[in-house]
Amino acid sequence: MTRVSVTVDDRHLSALDGVVQGLRARGMQVEQVLDGLGIITGSVPAGTLGALSAVTGVASVDEQRVHRLPPPGAPVQ
Amino acid sequence: MIDPQAAGEPGSVRHGAVGPLTRTTGRQVLVLADDDGAVDWARAGLRDVADSRDFADGLVPPEVLRESAAIVFAALGIAVVAAEPAQVGVLAAGDGGRPVLSVSPELVHHVLDEGAASYARGYRDGVADLTGRLLAAPGEEPPGPARLEDTRQATWGVRAVGADTSSRSGRGIRVAVLDTGFDLAHPDFAGRAVTARSFVAGEGPQDGHGHGTHCIGTACGPRTPPSGPRYGVAHEAEIFAGKVLGDDGSGTDAGILAGMNWAVTNRCPVISMSLGADVPEAHPPYSAAGRRALAQGSLVVAAAGNNADRRAGSWGFVGAPANSPEILAVGALDQALAPAWFSARSLPGRGGQVDVAAPGADVCSAWPMPARYNTISGTSMATPHVAGVAALWAEATGRRGLELWATLVQEGERLLQPSVDAGSGLVLAPR
Repeated sequence: MTRVSVTVDDRHLSALDGVVQGLRARGMQVEQVLDGLGIITGSVPAGTLGALSAVTGVASVDEQRVHRLPPPGAPVQ
Repeated sequence: MIDPQAAGEPGSVRHGAVGPLTRTTGRQVLVLADDDGAVDWARAGLRDVADSRDFADGLVPPEVLRESAAIVFAALGIAVVAAEPAQVGVLAAGDGGRPVLSVSPELVHHVLDEGAASYARGYRDGVADLTGRLLAAPGEEPPGPARLEDTRQATWGVRAVGADTSSRSGRGIRVAVLDTGFDLAHPDFAGRAVTARSFVAGEGPQDGHGHGTHCIGTACGPRTPPSGPRYGVAHEAEIFAGKVLGDDGSGTDAGILAGMNWAVTNRCPVISMSLGADVPEAHPPYSAAGRRALAQGSLVVAAAGNNADRRAGSWGFVGAPANSPEILAVGALDQALAPAWFSARSLPGRGGQVDVAAPGADVCSAWPMPARYNTISGTSMATPHVAGVAALWAEATGRRGLELWATLVQEGERLLQPSVDAGSGLVLAPR
């Protein structure tokens, strides 16, 4: 599975439910609907990320990144 | 700066330390308070007052400007008054209704080229100055800024941004710090308003790393800690601690975006994110999130990144999320107010720039007990200095979103450093 963040375009911010339905129909397992930001997070089977771009109201689909801090003892954080 | 008290002769004021005396018109320029109340001109004995709202498009004809006793520029909240000092005194004392914020003599402005003689004088002075500098013996170079140190009263970072001498405290302003959580039992924060949430699966908001507690300490630490110097900027801000990085120091976009969504929904005017991934491209979700946060009154500040090694000639680049233009990217300064050796440089091309700079070397702040304090370096440490200063400005001005961003830039101190490293310079707290 690939973890993804789907950014919804400005015109569909008030219609997030419809976008969520479209994403589920294309195989996305939706985890969070962030209505304050217009972003939907979740996961898709590896290699199927591109299919989500076709859903109406989707501005971009991006694979999630991992952010990592140095260990607590590191001098530069 | 114009200081009417330093006038060299009656009816004139001096511009700077040198140069010709500036002429005044005898009229006074009044800055009116920011409300729409009417000024009671009759009380000051003034008739024949023109108001820009009485003219189409606010365009006041020049003869009216010349002949009226007073002209009000309604869109600016400024009036130009031809009156006796006693009459102006009545207005300035607030006896005329709408309060007057300042009274200054109206100056006569000139285009800068006053003619050949003036040009020649300027040229002569410029050449004299240049030859003086070029011929000066080595060693006469003015010394750089003194190195800032921690004192018993305050850390060098708190002193550098002027938080220790600010009249503001961040009272009433919610500051969200999205990081590794917070040491909820830290004695320096006893009695403070803290709202803590975890966006990391299987972990509570308690800080199991230290980084989050350190950042919250810098942004919101107390004015007078029980021991040691003051290390916090906005000492009465309301703390929103969002844990988006786990005890191992790592987290995903999903948790970070969830934390941002929580902070925006809770109307936090400032969101501090001392985190990032070393990727040179802006990440679209952060651009959208930053833009939508600004539109809802939340300013997102983020660390530029520590991927430079300037000692080895490597300049690094601003990583995500700070490289989204909609997010305020913070570079780190050392105690000489020069870019710290690890502080990332702006990406080439549009976007991805360092926007402002703040103290980020050898920063002392809170750390989970029993250590209590720790001194570390990083753009992570610079970021909460900016967040704290932003909270002070949010309190002082009521500004939010892009207006608050602009205020940080507008009020910052320009540095003799490349803008690709320090952006618009060192952020400064309101006085």
